[in-house]
Amino acid sequence: MATLVHATRPRRSPVTWARRGGLSTLVFALPLLVVFGVFSWLPIGRAIVMSFQETNLVVSEWVGLDNFRAVLDDPLLGRAVANTAWFALLALIFGYPVPLVGAVLMSTVRRMRGLYSVLAYLPVVVPPVVAVLLWKFFYDPRPEGVFNQILGWVGVGPFPWLQNQTWAMPSLVLEATWAAAGGTVIIYLAALTSVPAELYDAAEVDGASLWGKIWHVTMPHLRGVLLITFILQIIGTAQVFLEPYLFTGGGPNNATVTVLLLIYRYAFGQSLGGDYGMATALSLMLAVLLAVLSLAYFRLTRGWSTS
Amino acid sequence: MTLVRPTTSPTAAAPPDLPTASAPVARPGIRRGAGAPRDDEERGAVSDADWRRPGVRRTLRVGHAVLLLLLVVWGVGPLLLLLKFAVTPTQDILRTPLEVFPNGTTWANLDEAWNELEISRYFLNTIWVAVGAWLSQVLVAATGGYVLSVLRPRWAKPLQWAVLATLFVPAVVLLVPLYLTILDPPVGPSMLNTFWGVWLPAGASAFNVVLVARFFDSLPREVFEAARVDGAGPFRLFWSIVLPMSKPILGVVSVFAVIAAWKDFLWPLLVLPNPDLQPLSVRLPTLQTATDMGVLMAALAISTVIPVVVFLLFQRLFLRGAGLGGAVKG
Amino acid sequence: MRSPRTATALVLTSALAAGLLAGCANDDPAEDPSVDAEAGEDAEPEEITLSVVSLIPGSEPEAFAAFDERVAEFEEMYPYITVEGVEYEWRATTFAAQLAGGTLPDVYEIPLTDAKTLIQNGQLADLDAEFAQLDYANEFNEQLLAAGTGEDGHVYAIPAKSIYGVALHYNRDLFEQAGLDPDDPPTTWDEVAEYAAQIKRETGVAGFATMAANNTGGWQMTAATYARGGRVQEANEDGTYTATLDNDATRAHLEFLHELRWTDDAILADTTLDWGTINQAFAAGQLAMYTSGSDVLNSLMETNGLDPATYGLTAMPLEGDDAGVLVGGTLAAVNVSADDATKDAAIKWIDFWYLSTLRDEQQAVRDSQVRNEGGQGVGTPVLPIFSREQYEQELEWKADYINVPLDQMTGYTDVMFDQPVVGEPSRQTQPFYGLLDSAVQAVLTDEGVDIDALLADLNEQAQALLDSE
Repeated sequence: MATLVHATRPRRSPVTWARRGGLSTLVFALPLLVVFGVFSWLPIGRAIVMSFQETNLVVSEWVGLDNFRAVLDDPLLGRAVANTAWFALLALIFGYPVPLVGAVLMSTVRRMRGLYSVLAYLPVVVPPVVAVLLWKFFYDPRPEGVFNQILGWVGVGPFPWLQNQTWAMPSLVLEATWAAAGGTVIIYLAALTSVPAELYDAAEVDGASLWGKIWHVTMPHLRGVLLITFILQIIGTAQVFLEPYLFTGGGPNNATVTVLLLIYRYAFGQSLGGDYGMATALSLMLAVLLAVLSLAYFRLTRGWSTS
Repeated sequence: MTLVRPTTSPTAAAPPDLPTASAPVARPGIRRGAGAPRDDEERGAVSDADWRRPGVRRTLRVGHAVLLLLLVVWGVGPLLLLLKFAVTPTQDILRTPLEVFPNGTTWANLDEAWNELEISRYFLNTIWVAVGAWLSQVLVAATGGYVLSVLRPRWAKPLQWAVLATLFVPAVVLLVPLYLTILDPPVGPSMLNTFWGVWLPAGASAFNVVLVARFFDSLPREVFEAARVDGAGPFRLFWSIVLPMSKPILGVVSVFAVIAAWKDFLWPLLVLPNPDLQPLSVRLPTLQTATDMGVLMAALAISTVIPVVVFLLFQRLFLRGAGLGGAVKG
Repeated sequence: MRSPRTATALVLTSALAAGLLAGCANDDPAEDPSVDAEAGEDAEPEEITLSVVSLIPGSEPEAFAAFDERVAEFEEMYPYITVEGVEYEWRATTFAAQLAGGTLPDVYEIPLTDAKTLIQNGQLADLDAEFAQLDYANEFNEQLLAAGTGEDGHVYAIPAKSIYGVALHYNRDLFEQAGLDPDDPPTTWDEVAEYAAQIKRETGVAGFATMAANNTGGWQMTAATYARGGRVQEANEDGTYTATLDNDATRAHLEFLHELRWTDDAILADTTLDWGTINQAFAAGQLAMYTSGSDVLNSLMETNGLDPATYGLTAMPLEGDDAGVLVGGTLAAVNVSADDATKDAAIKWIDFWYLSTLRDEQQAVRDSQVRNEGGQGVGTPVLPIFSREQYEQELEWKADYINVPLDQMTGYTDVMFDQPVVGEPSRQTQPFYGLLDSAVQAVLTDEGVDIDALLADLNEQAQALLDSE
């Protein structure tokens, strides 16, 4: 009976334990324990182990830091890291402030705000594969390509889009932003609409203008959300895989190879057997980098969020 | 399992938890200030007084109109084009994609996609994958949250830490070893080419568990006490008390689980190499090479219908779940 | 209350320990191809299901129907074997995952060049015993058979189909529309460039296209290098290899592509084209000429629904001393995890599906009939697995069913046996192709590319690969 509530208990025999609900608790915990154990904790441990091994799934041998060295020696690594950073940066530029502005504007809408939200969020529910294949067609570099035609109406283009080493990555980011910005807008919108009315009232009493209110009441209130979405976006974009894989396969000329794509290639992309050791080594390196970044970020911004 | 939790997109962020089970954010009272707003809750920065000033009103009106126009193009534009292409003959798509049906429409694309390409089969596979993944996630999250929040055994805290820890491990780390685990599980035969290989890992979502646990935390304990006094054991408590009260949060978890399963690409690509089992997201890129552009577009359109319809039907649920986290302050 | 930290430590340590244990326990002993005491000597063989490669995913339903018909015939001959067809396309990027996952069918296909490495890695079943059962085991073209033989002299993979030479494919309709004579295809690379430019001018359609992704770009680049008299790697006397990517022929071809792209605008500017997608684009009329294996017409008809009346085939222009045609092909291999009964069934299938149609009149006729009725290509030129005489004999048997326009392919068939043949590079083949992919992509997307610097850089990387073996 009372075992459902916590705290200290004297030692009991297994029977008492079972009768007192210990067994049923275990039963309830079983799905979690099994699923997490086998599909989360175990693989994490395995990843660490495999990064120090060379294996072809039949035999494994310990090779110490060889995998890490091999990864660092890969001429493509520098490219992949640079490309990934570039993607993350572009995604920040396109995808971070724009949803904010949109959300702020949307929060001032009085009627039919739902319509705005639905329209903004619609691209988020489209399956990414569909979005990419569709946009791949839009990005046809011929003058008849959809985007080139539209831009042609205003006298610009035609552009090579995915067929140019400088344009390829921004093209990817554009589609990725289309597919995801809606989610960010909704988050900001929710935060915006949760600003207590009293704050605005107080500001008005003090004679604040509309801009003043936005700057001094709305924005500070958003700081927490903005901080979190920033780091989450960095972590997410650092692991981008789908867009480079489906749009360009990493090309042209490795202009869109990202770290995840490299990991995928190590493990699954070689026709004569994957190098799982190198793949896990690189994944761990990326994970550590992200962890360090996150820690540094939280340290840095500790004083900035409102509470 | 979506590999980049919580979604596969770069600019989306994990919606942090919902604060309580009760109705969202009921604002107390009415505070009279300059130009008392009618609806306190949704006030926003703009007060009635602001609205009355023509300069402000005009700017905002124009801003709203422009925004609405942009949003229509943004949200609906590409999808409209997709629908158009789905019923346009291939040559027209390739040569004059933006003209409105210069040679009429053709329903043959849709027909071919559904029948010859057997999009119907992959559609079914996608539904299978989604249903299983949903069950898996709901089961793990509900029971796990129950243990962590309601049952609270001695080992609840460390368990919680262990679960939380996985939130900080980027999905990329799991990719290869999880694949190898599927190939060669500790017990049982290989799960490659079985739906289990997709369903089970999907359940390992720390995000869901935390979400549900926090929700359970907010349920009134008195109800539990009352039930216990009436002699309810843990199973009864779970089934008849906790679950019925959890509809909102389970709704949110479900909606996201289904959408995530629908969108998942890399994981099913690795785990379901047998084309007969592949969901739409994996199959469509493979069919790209063997298919007419028109038929491909039709296939893409068919694949988009369900998520869009589900979204439109359950808008509120989506938008609330997607956004309510924004209410959590830093 | 007991410190939660200890408990936490315990949970985390057990998770780690589990991971470590799993890592160590991963040393599955390699499957030992033990001699089965009951090996195939039973009077009544046990029922067995054999999974085999059928067709490329997305192929026409008629093609699948034809396959099913042949399967039925096989099952009649061997009632105890049930055949399961599995859709399959060999792609450098997905094969490894399939292999690792053990999801390849019992009988699958690999390119000529991969066999050696797979044999070395112990990933192919030893077929020597079963191979010896074939009456014609001695009649295979030696070079081809050698590709599937291990260092121990055992046969692990059998030459099966699509022994091709790389050739030039073109769209006769586009030729006509541009004012060119479809029966007079280009014979030099300069002519190819000229015709391509003319086609683009007159019809607006790209005159030429090249594969560029998934290692197929490198494959075609290597073929073009051979055709211009160059080589991408050379064997040294001491057994090592030297990368020679920066040779004149490769350079010349890159410049050829560059000019087509930036000066004439006559090339299809898509760097994601691979073997399947370029076929698709060709069948959709988006380009007029491209190079690929000589037997690609089969796929164009089976998978892309091409009308053969518009199709023309001619030889790759060969220029320079030492010019040769890149030759490759497909071997049939058996999954290393197959037991003897499976291997036995497998060899029977390989014999029936791939080889009997070349040697046995009845099978040849039957197969051609089925294919013809299903609208698939019969008679597409391939290089012989056995001998030229055998090949010509086979063509005679099939004469009634040949439905490909052989008269539109004389540019190739007239010279196909006389062309000097060169095998694919033997070391690090796929990685070499990957590097050349980048070269092709660079040339097509960067007008100001410095070809010399590019090749020098790629060659360094190529040499590093060779040295690391």
